[in-house]
Formats: sequence, C-alpha cells, structure tokens
Amino acid sequence: MPSVTVFCFLASYAVAFGLEIARWFRKISINRIVVLVAAAAGMVAHTIYLLNRSGQTGKPPLLSSTHDWMLVLAWLVIGSYLLLTALNRKLPLGVFLLPVVIVLIIMAYFVSDGPNLRVGPKAAIEQAHSGWVMLHATLLVFGITGVVVGFVLSVMYLYQHRRLKHHQAMANDLALPSLERLARLNRSAVIISVPLLTLGMLFGVFMGLLSRKGPNPISFADPIVISNSIVWLVMLVFFVWLLATRRPVGKQVAWTTIWAFGFLLVTIISLQVLTGDLDVIQTWH
Amino acid sequence: MNLQVVYCNHHSAALAVRERLAFSSEELLHAAYDRLRVDFPDSEIVVLSTCNRVELYAAHESPDEAPTHQQIARFFADFHQIPLDEFVDDLLEQTGPDAVRHLFEVTSSVDSMVLGEPQIVSQVKEAYDVAMKNDACGPLTNALFQGALRVSARVRTETKLSEGRVSIASVAVGEFGKSIFDRFDDKTVLIIGAGEMAEETLRYLKEEGVRDIIVVNRSLKRAEELAAEWGGRTEPFDKLDECLVAADVIVSTTGADRPIIDVPRFQQVLEKREGRAVFVLDLGAPRDFEPAVGEIDDSVFLYDIDSLEQTCERNRGKRVKEIERAQRLIEEETAKFMHDVYHQATGPVVKRLREEWHDIRRQEVERLNKKLSHLAAEDVREIEQSIERIVNKLLHPPLKALKDEAKEGTPHGLIDAMKRLFHLGD
Repeated sequence: MPSVTVFCFLASYAVAFGLEIARWFRKISINRIVVLVAAAAGMVAHTIYLLNRSGQTGKPPLLSSTHDWMLVLAWLVIGSYLLLTALNRKLPLGVFLLPVVIVLIIMAYFVSDGPNLRVGPKAAIEQAHSGWVMLHATLLVFGITGVVVGFVLSVMYLYQHRRLKHHQAMANDLALPSLERLARLNRSAVIISVPLLTLGMLFGVFMGLLSRKGPNPISFADPIVISNSIVWLVMLVFFVWLLATRRPVGKQVAWTTIWAFGFLLVTIISLQVLTGDLDVIQTWH
Repeated sequence: MNLQVVYCNHHSAALAVRERLAFSSEELLHAAYDRLRVDFPDSEIVVLSTCNRVELYAAHESPDEAPTHQQIARFFADFHQIPLDEFVDDLLEQTGPDAVRHLFEVTSSVDSMVLGEPQIVSQVKEAYDVAMKNDACGPLTNALFQGALRVSARVRTETKLSEGRVSIASVAVGEFGKSIFDRFDDKTVLIIGAGEMAEETLRYLKEEGVRDIIVVNRSLKRAEELAAEWGGRTEPFDKLDECLVAADVIVSTTGADRPIIDVPRFQQVLEKREGRAVFVLDLGAPRDFEPAVGEIDDSVFLYDIDSLEQTCERNRGKRVKEIERAQRLIEEETAKFMHDVYHQATGPVVKRLREEWHDIRRQEVERLNKKLSHLAAEDVREIEQSIERIVNKLLHPPLKALKDEAKEGTPHGLIDAMKRLFHLGD
C-alpha cells in the first residue's frame, strides 16, 4: 500500500472546496469535472489511509482509534457528496458539505490516534464481544453522518429561504433543492439519525454492562458517556417535537436542527479533542 | 414630420414609480386621450402602458408645434396628480430615428424584461387600437405602429428570441416558485384577475402539472370563461379571503389602481394558514399586494415584476448573440422606415422640381425643332438627349443635397429654400 498522509486528502478536499466556491462565483464548464476529480482523488487517498491504519492496528477503522473513527465519518460524508454531485450537475453541494469534511479531518488531527484500549484481548471488552462493539460504533457513525447531513440540509434551507425572501437569482445556473424538498429531507435526516443514535447509545449501555465482567470495567460516570447521553437526550426531545408538531414551519425546523445537530457535533468533537490524549476516559468512538 | 417618445420603463424607473404613472384601465386611457387632445391638439398621440413601461408617442407636422419633454412630463404629473419632481428624472426621451428604433425594440420584445415575451405585441396592438378609437392617430403614427408590428413579426421569425422561457410567469415560477415548491400538482393555485397575463400564467402552471385552480375576478363571467378554458373553478370576489387561505400559489393580475390586499387583511389570512408557505406573484401595475405583505411572515414569498429583474438580466446575458441579430434587423428596418418617411416628406418637392425643369426642357426642344426644321431626325434626337442630360446634371446637386439632408431628419429648411428658389409653390 502506498504511503498516504492525512494532508494528501485534506489538500484534495481543500482544492475541491476552492473550486466549488469558484464555480459559485464564475461559470466555468470544466470546473465541475475538476471538482469531482479532486474530491475523488482525495477519497481514494482517504480510503488508502484508512486501510493502512487498519492494517497497522489490526482493527477495523471504526474501532481502531478515535482519529480513525472521525476519518470514517468524513469518508462517509465525502462519499455522499461525490454521489450527489455526480448525479446533479447543478447542485452546489460542496459549498455546504466540504467545509464540514475539512473540519472533521482537521479535528481528527487533534484526537488520539493510539489504539483503542477498550477493545481487544485483555481489554475492557473481550475479543468475543467485538461484534457488538462494531455494531455500536457503526450505528453511531451512521447516526452522526445523518446528523451532518441534516445540519448541512438546514444550512442550505436557510440560505435558500434568505435568497427567496431577497428575490436573488441563483448564480451561474446552479440550483439548490426547493424549500419543500429540503424540509422533507431534513425531516428524514432527523427521523433516521436519531433512532440510529438511540440504538447506538443502547448498545453502548449494553457494552458497559458487559465490561463489568472484565478486568477493566467501563464507568458510566465517564464524562464522555455522560455528555453524550445529554446530547442524545437533546436529540430525542427534538425528535419527539418534530413528530408531535402537526405542521412544523420549515425555517423553524431548520434553525432547531442547526442548534440541536450543531450542539451534538460540537460537543462530541470537542470532547474527543479535549480528552483525546487521556487514556483514562478514552472511549471507542 | 417630427416624432418623439417620452417614457419610463423597467430600465429607468422602479415599479413604485411606473405604477403611479400607469394607465391601468381603458377608462383611464380614454380620460388621458381627452386631456391630451386639449393639451396637444395638433399632435398624433399613442399611449402605451404595460407593467414594464409607460410611453407616450407623439408625431406632428412641424417641429415648432411638437410638445416638449417638459410639457409631456407636466401632463403626466397633472393627470396622475403626482408632483413632477418625484418622477421627472425617470422620464427619458427619444426623437426621430431613435424613437422609431425604440418602438421597434419594444414591440420585438428586445427591450422587454423577459426577452422574447409575446404579450408585448398584443399590448402594443391594443394601445394602437385604443389610440385609433380615440382619434388620436394620424398618418405617421399609423405607419409607425403598423411598421412596428411588422418588424416584430420579422424579428420573431428570423431570430430565436422567442425560444425558451419567454413569459413573466415562466421566469417567476421557474426561478422562484420551483425553489419554494417541489411540485405543483398537489398545490392550489389562485388567480386573481382574468386578463391576458392571468391566462399566460395559467398556461405555464398547467404545463407544470397544476390541477386545482381557482379564478377570482370582479367580472364573474370572464372568470368563468377562463376557469372553463383551463379546467378550474371560480369563486365570487367577496370570497377572496377564503381563497387566499386555501391557496399555495397566488397570481394576481388585476387592473386595480391601488392594492387590493393590504397588510392587515393578509395578516388575518395568515392566521388561518397554519404556517404553510405561499408563493405570491403580483403581476399588477399598479401592484395588487402591498409590498409590506412580503415582510409579514417567513412563510410568505411575494414577488412583483421588478423582483425578476436579476433573473431576466442573467437570461439576457446568455442570449447576447440573438439580441445582436434582432438589433441588426431593427436597425435595417428603422433605416427603411425613416427613408420612407423622408421620401414622403421630400417626394412632392422632388417631383415638382423635376416636372418643372423637364417641362421647360420640352418647351425649349419644341421651340428649337420649329426653328431648325431642316435638321435631320438623328440630329434632333442628339440635341434632345444633350439637353435632357444638361437638365439632369443641373437637377442632381439640389436633389442630392435634399437626399443627404433627409438622412438626418425631415429637411424642412431646405425644402422651404428650394420652394422659394425655384418657385415651386405649395
């Protein structure tokens, strides 16, 4: 496997983002192709990096370290971006999605890339239960991908709403989805991501109970466990509000999503960054 | 002959100004013509008033009798009871060939906000018809407006200006409506007014899949005709508020001279709408919705004609080549029209001068034939041809001067000079 650093794909995504911005301001037909090539090249490097890391740690990227877990999250987001941009030539998705990817990768720099001490032989969770751990991490990463998507959809909604209220035309033949569609997709993102996060949390509790039989039990007083539980509760309240409101107003939903999802992303990422080097409170995600 | 147009349009004046200067109904236009007949009795006049422009075309025999820009501005101010300084800077003026070119561009929709839109042709036709009904037209305005309609047909046939999104409704729905709603087949569309613009909008919305259409109009008969044509239903005008609550898309195109929906009225409507988004397209000039209605709530998206300016400019930028082709045709037609007009003005003088000089030539040749009867027929013919050539050569400089001068406008001074110099009489 070729040697690839985080900088390789971070640079590719930064170039793609720069071109997306250029595409917004000036219509250049070749731009979209170059954007896709830059982002795809970044994704290839990103994939190779994750495979290398997995090879080094002997664990799937989702379980090997917090650093890898965040890069998997960024990888899923960039995959969604490439797919949607390839399908819709007018959609300027990169302007909204690529900054999130870039932030996730930069944050991954600051979190621990050491092996996860909670998983593996003689760890809190025995090798025999690593399937449950995998399920827990997968549910959380997909749930948070849904959160990122919902967050970006809400930003797009607010931009589109502002544009329409100010009677501004879209630049250079670009087109955002309608408010009606953005609201629907946003609702779907919430409805899909919150149950995934809930299931992830439940599996986390289950893992915590399992770890009590091992030599290093996980404490439910772990600050990350506590803060994630609070974030999850906030999400659950939002979810119930969304389902209970008969006819939610699109802009209100968008703002609530941004606050709720933004709170979740900032909390999770900040905690991982702030506590990244402390083995005492290191978790699987 | 002199021709001028004093006007304001979407380039020079905001809708807030245009709607105050507009002649929104035929009754108002009749009143305007009555007033114009008094103010400018010797002028031929046509008034063109649409949502994008208010234009007054005036033609007269003598330049001295032509109304000035200031006089026409004063007419607008007095008729609409608006202080002159509130709009005088927005009024533009074109004269002679520039006025002709302007009307040709307007009628060909090169000057329209939505490039290539077909409604302007019927609007120009209607303006011309109303002027004729009011006995305000004359030979020059007849020729001008008939010429404009002919040029418009030529531009539409020989260029691609009429292709693509060529109605205000299509631009508004395409740019803004589709950014609000994903689909229209599950939406209720309310049309207020039943004029041509309402019909044009319905045509486009039908293509977008609209099924539920409500037409509300002061004249129920016209509303029923429109609703029947497009598969909609009608509601009486006094049930407008209920219709406003039910509608997702509202298109208003009445000829009302002041807003029919103000903020308090729409606020009451909003209370019953439960936050549902509403796309309001106000195509009236004067506007039917008070502009502040768009600020009441986040769910209200209100657009008037001027809201489309940015989109239309962008579309215009994409079609520069077609605009250039149309302008070349218009330039050619303007030159041809002016040539015909000047030819009509100088024609009688040229004809009389030629006839007079050739009469003298004929008389002199006859006299010479009588005196020199011994000459052979071939010699006589040679002499006749020589004299004819001399007359033609002598005629050439004054006629050329007249022709050259006519390129710049009717050469009243030169025509008078020639009449006096050569005793041509009237």
